Amino acid sequence: MSFEKNFPKWWQTIKISWSNYTAYRMNFFLQIIGPALVFFFVKYNLWSSIYDGDAHMTIKGYNLDQMITYHIWSMIVGLVAQGMSALNLAEDIRMGRISSYLIYPIDFWEYHTAGFIAFETLQLFISALTITVIAVFGFLPDITFTSLIFGFTYCVYVSLFWFILQYLTGIIGFWLEETWILRVILSILTAFLSGAIIPLELYPEWLVTLLNYTPFPYLTFYPIKMFMGEIGFFPKGYLMLGAWMVILLFLNKWIWKKGIRMYTAAGM
Amino acid sequence: MNSVRHYLSIYKKFLATSFSVQLSFRTSFVLLIVMDIFFYVSTLATVDFVYDHVSTIGPWQKEKLMFFISFMLCVDHLHMTLLSESFWVLARQIRTGELDFILLKPVHSIFSIFFRYIRPSSMTNTVVAWGFLFYYGSKVPLSTLSWVLLPLFLILSFMLLAIVEIIISTAMFWMTEGLGINFLRMQIQSLARWPDFVYKVLARRLFTVLMPILLIGSAPVRFLLDLKSWDYVAGMVAAIFVFGFLMFKIWSHALIRYESASS
Repeated sequence: MSFEKNFPKWWQTIKISWSNYTAYRMNFFLQIIGPALVFFFVKYNLWSSIYDGDAHMTIKGYNLDQMITYHIWSMIVGLVAQGMSALNLAEDIRMGRISSYLIYPIDFWEYHTAGFIAFETLQLFISALTITVIAVFGFLPDITFTSLIFGFTYCVYVSLFWFILQYLTGIIGFWLEETWILRVILSILTAFLSGAIIPLELYPEWLVTLLNYTPFPYLTFYPIKMFMGEIGFFPKGYLMLGAWMVILLFLNKWIWKKGIRMYTAAGM
Repeated sequence: MNSVRHYLSIYKKFLATSFSVQLSFRTSFVLLIVMDIFFYVSTLATVDFVYDHVSTIGPWQKEKLMFFISFMLCVDHLHMTLLSESFWVLARQIRTGELDFILLKPVHSIFSIFFRYIRPSSMTNTVVAWGFLFYYGSKVPLSTLSWVLLPLFLILSFMLLAIVEIIISTAMFWMTEGLGINFLRMQIQSLARWPDFVYKVLARRLFTVLMPILLIGSAPVRFLLDLKSWDYVAGMVAAIFVFGFLMFKIWSHALIRYESASS
């Protein structure tokens, strides 16, 4: 099908998804933005307590200001990169709701990808607003336009990786009753191993060496370093995540093919 | 006495049905165990890594903070086993109107809503959670009286956490979608997972007096570490009574607000 033919249905789906996300604004705030803010609040207090007001103290090269800056960027990376779209996928499968997509002119994958685009657009807007507010209060003195461009571009790429991974955990719902457990395991592992909780410099060296062979540091630690201006364009990160995305895409296709054969359309 | 026996017999049924349901989905059962273990290990390892670079956090050395964290993990373990799932179910029940059938039952609605779903898979992690607590308790080390009082304080802390969370969850009756409230509840838990001295004065006062989540861990652990710090524990017991009373009042008010979507 041509782009002209496809575009209107994608555009409409994106618009509908946008409306769905913003329909319950308080709920959206509590579910998406609230956790990031509270997470930052805890870390701000914790690190202030660790440094105990000593401006000259450094831990693995970080003074208090740099540590706080690290966690501000960690919050922004969390907002932009770690999307929460495709959350109801498993429920859709279990309740037999995906039957409708089988006869729609837009397929299941396209529908959720459109939803992801809407969510990501919303998150980019919220992140830009958050950065502006934080910068106005003087917490991000070394912010540059170039680091913002590198950081945001890479984060959008990371968000695509997250979306493909979450889609995969969702369609495992063909076999598994509860897929939210897989998602929570993934988020616990990622928060711990990606440098979202504390900088990876604080981890034992053997663990950091090992982690560099996994996708984890490329999801949070390196994007933070981009925003902090310590890394520019990062081909290694793009290649590493790109390779994982190709593997995950093949897996998604294979699982969908296998899963749809045993789909019973419950409730039809 | 009869009424206690009646509630216990119902709870026994809740437990039996929860076991049968969870054991029919064995992969989920195993994954839940794995999930909890990952959470425990990552939480403790994070603090351990920080202590590789600093000697104290606030006034506490590594052993004390690790004991605090393992105490909170045990509270969290109780919460995950006995209560957690019910909050997620409540959000759905309010949205779909399924709550009607629960409100009709001749037992207190707080009991039938919040104690209905038990997670047997989390029960199997008791050894892991308590293992950490015993290990770090012996490292501190705790006095004999503290060891004796430890289970009692775990139950009190769990009670306070449950009361605060039930109060927060009543907001679901005012909001059409309760998922966000559950996320708020989880954030409250993450605030309580750190000792009170970590927070600045204003936040500490707010989370000790207005919403006493910092008392959940800090009050009992401070007392267990130093038996002279009884004022914190007195504060926690007072908070359980005051907020317990408030919980019943707010709950009754919230039920009036319930619109019964299915009717």
